[in-house]
Amino acid sequence: MLRYDSTSSSAGSSSGSLSSSSSSSKPPQQDIDGLLAGAGYKVRSSELRQVAQRLERLETAMGNSPADFSQLASDAILYNPSDLACWVDSLLTEFAEPPPTCSSDFIVDPVNNQTVVNSAWTAAEPHTPQVHQNITYDEQQSLDNQLTVVTAMEEDSGIRLVHMLMTCAECVQSGDLSLATSLIDDMQGLLTHVNTICGIGKVAGHFIDALSRRIFQGMGGGSVNGGSAFENEILYHHFYEACPYLKFAHFTANQAILEAFDGHDCVHVVDFNLMHGLQWPALIQALALRPGGPPLLRLTGIGPPPPDGRDSLREIGLRLAELARSVNVRFAFRGVAASRLEDVKPWMLQVNPKEAVAVNSIMQLHRLLGCEQTRNSPIDTVLSWIRGLNPKIMTVVEQEANHNQPGFLDRFTEALYYYSTMFDSLEACRIQPEKALAEIYIQREIGNVVSCEGSARVERHEPLAKWRRRLSGAGFRALRLGSNAFKQASMLLTLFSAEGYSVEENEGCLSLGWHSSPLIAASAWQAVPAWDNHMSSS
Amino acid sequence: MAGSNEVNLNECKMVVPLNTWVLISSFKLAYNLLRRPDGTFNRHLAEFLDRKVPANLNPVDGVFSFDVLIDRATGLLCRIYRPATAEEPEPNIVELEKPVVGDVVPVIIFFHGGSFAHSSANSAIYDTLCRRLVGICKAVVVSVNYRRAPENRYPCAYDDGWTAFKWVNSRSWLQSRKDSKVHIYLAGDSSGGNIAHHVAARAVESGIDVLGNILLNPMFGGQERTESEKRLDGKYFVTLRDRDWYWRAFLPEGENRDHPACNPFGPNGRSLEGIKFPKSLVVVAGLDLIQDWQLAYVEGLRKAGKEVKLLYMEQATIGFYLLPNNNHFHTVMDEISEFVSSDC
Repeated sequence: MLRYDSTSSSAGSSSGSLSSSSSSSKPPQQDIDGLLAGAGYKVRSSELRQVAQRLERLETAMGNSPADFSQLASDAILYNPSDLACWVDSLLTEFAEPPPTCSSDFIVDPVNNQTVVNSAWTAAEPHTPQVHQNITYDEQQSLDNQLTVVTAMEEDSGIRLVHMLMTCAECVQSGDLSLATSLIDDMQGLLTHVNTICGIGKVAGHFIDALSRRIFQGMGGGSVNGGSAFENEILYHHFYEACPYLKFAHFTANQAILEAFDGHDCVHVVDFNLMHGLQWPALIQALALRPGGPPLLRLTGIGPPPPDGRDSLREIGLRLAELARSVNVRFAFRGVAASRLEDVKPWMLQVNPKEAVAVNSIMQLHRLLGCEQTRNSPIDTVLSWIRGLNPKIMTVVEQEANHNQPGFLDRFTEALYYYSTMFDSLEACRIQPEKALAEIYIQREIGNVVSCEGSARVERHEPLAKWRRRLSGAGFRALRLGSNAFKQASMLLTLFSAEGYSVEENEGCLSLGWHSSPLIAASAWQAVPAWDNHMSSS
Repeated sequence: MAGSNEVNLNECKMVVPLNTWVLISSFKLAYNLLRRPDGTFNRHLAEFLDRKVPANLNPVDGVFSFDVLIDRATGLLCRIYRPATAEEPEPNIVELEKPVVGDVVPVIIFFHGGSFAHSSANSAIYDTLCRRLVGICKAVVVSVNYRRAPENRYPCAYDDGWTAFKWVNSRSWLQSRKDSKVHIYLAGDSSGGNIAHHVAARAVESGIDVLGNILLNPMFGGQERTESEKRLDGKYFVTLRDRDWYWRAFLPEGENRDHPACNPFGPNGRSLEGIKFPKSLVVVAGLDLIQDWQLAYVEGLRKAGKEVKLLYMEQATIGFYLLPNNNHFHTVMDEISEFVSSDC
């Protein structure tokens, strides 16, 4: 299966600022050493000497205590390796003091007048053994052998199919619907020569369907092709089980939220899409185990109004309350029913000014991007009231894809790459019916991206680089996710998923991908105080 | 031996430009964090720290790249770099495996360095290097993301190299027009150079031609301590202790450094006499502590009657070919260009 990434080479990837002019909101920094940038490091030429000196100091410090080195490496939390000066400094700090023992390292929290353990030295779990990278799945070996061998002819048909898909999309864009229609027929014929159980044949089938729906329903009239909210929840749950994307989203966000809530006694999580509340048991349990005791946790879950009158939000809230009670966490739940996120008003959330607020958005912000021509577009409105809540943290997880471009052909091409990769990763899933239902979940997304327009097209994914600019422009500042979050994400992947997934760090954000193509990106944000005129985006 | 662990920082600062010193020193420090005394490796931290770049279908300086999974069972990925042509300045998904244009088109299979444990095909430093090779050799470059030690010991890296080699050799779109064959060169730096040697040996044994080997500071060793190892230990970024660690991590448990993987012309090695081994370009840095082993390798090739050109760069340290800010870099790139073009 071929894998491609058509992202441009501008900023946002870990390749450094080779050509930042086209996509960065701030002017390119002339002073950055271009050669080191090519190696992925951002160092100002004027600072090279200083960085060199710090490296020397670090080297000397290391020479003095070599035994501590790798142990400290396991415990230290590092951030943003591209910023060389910064991470050398953080290592120097680790080495400058002798490592304290866990239990005796307290700092007094001046606000609450309570002792709080310095989180960098907290080690609640024993040192976890190194998980080897290659866990062999014997099952996988034999199942792989059963997958049909791709013959040369099939490969050829696969490529022709892709070629025809592109041509068809081009026709749709230019309005040549009669040619597009005949291409649909040809492609459906070609599908019979291609293995549609896996690989390009399977994905192509979905794209052919979506194109066909777009053509035959006319532009703009496409149905949302979503089922009921109940159906969507079932599909979501199976997608959650079949592959690690949502699990990654949840535990990365939870880790960041847990850290943000450190030291606070009253905390409030606002979840933009509760679904079955899958994300929250882990956070509740982590808060229960928090040194110093759990805070009072309020959870406000937003979800669509159920058509059948069942108060499903409340049911989920009750289950979570039950869990919280069993681990002695004081808990309160509130459900907010809204069919669209932009219909939610901040007063509905009943945020208390004394509590620490976390806003959690797992693949929701992109749905607000439609109809941007109007002023006070939904995304601006929502970001503005989020900012007004002054949250301690806003966790944002989005698909790492460019599916909101104005040109249909561009969107189509991107989606073909993206979903091919995602389907490929799903091949590794061995459980049914999770796999089949997860595929339907993804198929619906494809349908929305390809065959819908206007307000019906809600799957308006944008890549991390664009979200960075958007959120910085809306008065948010990035909080960096560090090596501890990275390590946990990596370890959980090796324990729960097949080989082939990889976590990458990119200027403080983490992404999960399949075979080096990032598919989902997680980031954390904080509102910049209104009186701070320096709007920095780190 | 306290003396061999002493780091003489001043000496290596004299011979390399400041930004090179910063780059290689930061690698050195990072790598020290990752190697554990018990032989295990902090892989999570390694992946966190490694600066990677995605493949890029949009040509940058005339080169575009894409990743291909060539063996699902082992997850073996390769990154392919191709020159953008005038007719198709912006390739789309259908153009990726378009047949190469030209009577003779060299295909360089590249194995990145990292002492068998570090780096990946998508590491920024190697992505940059491969892109350069496309330009100077007018070649297609295939960079192999082989499995690394200590999680995957000998012979995994060689097996992956061989899998990639067979895959490249069987691509019709990589065949040169002149003879409908794929014109393959093998190249690599540090451990990659070692892998290139072993894959070449296996290739010629199987009757498949390799047109040339390009070994940049190849990683070889042996049980004995050579003069250069004693003299240069700890002086220019590299210590004997770390070299020993990497061999222990790669070689089968219980084996010593006279294992033929490490010491191909040593007591357990095999002569290449009578075997149609390709011509080799071997680059040795004069400040690399393992140079005696690299020179012994060159001698071994010569004794077996194989064509080999040695480029001994007296004042060069390891990694000099990563940044184009020194004369050794340009000299070597010119030689590589000539080495590859001499068959066209």
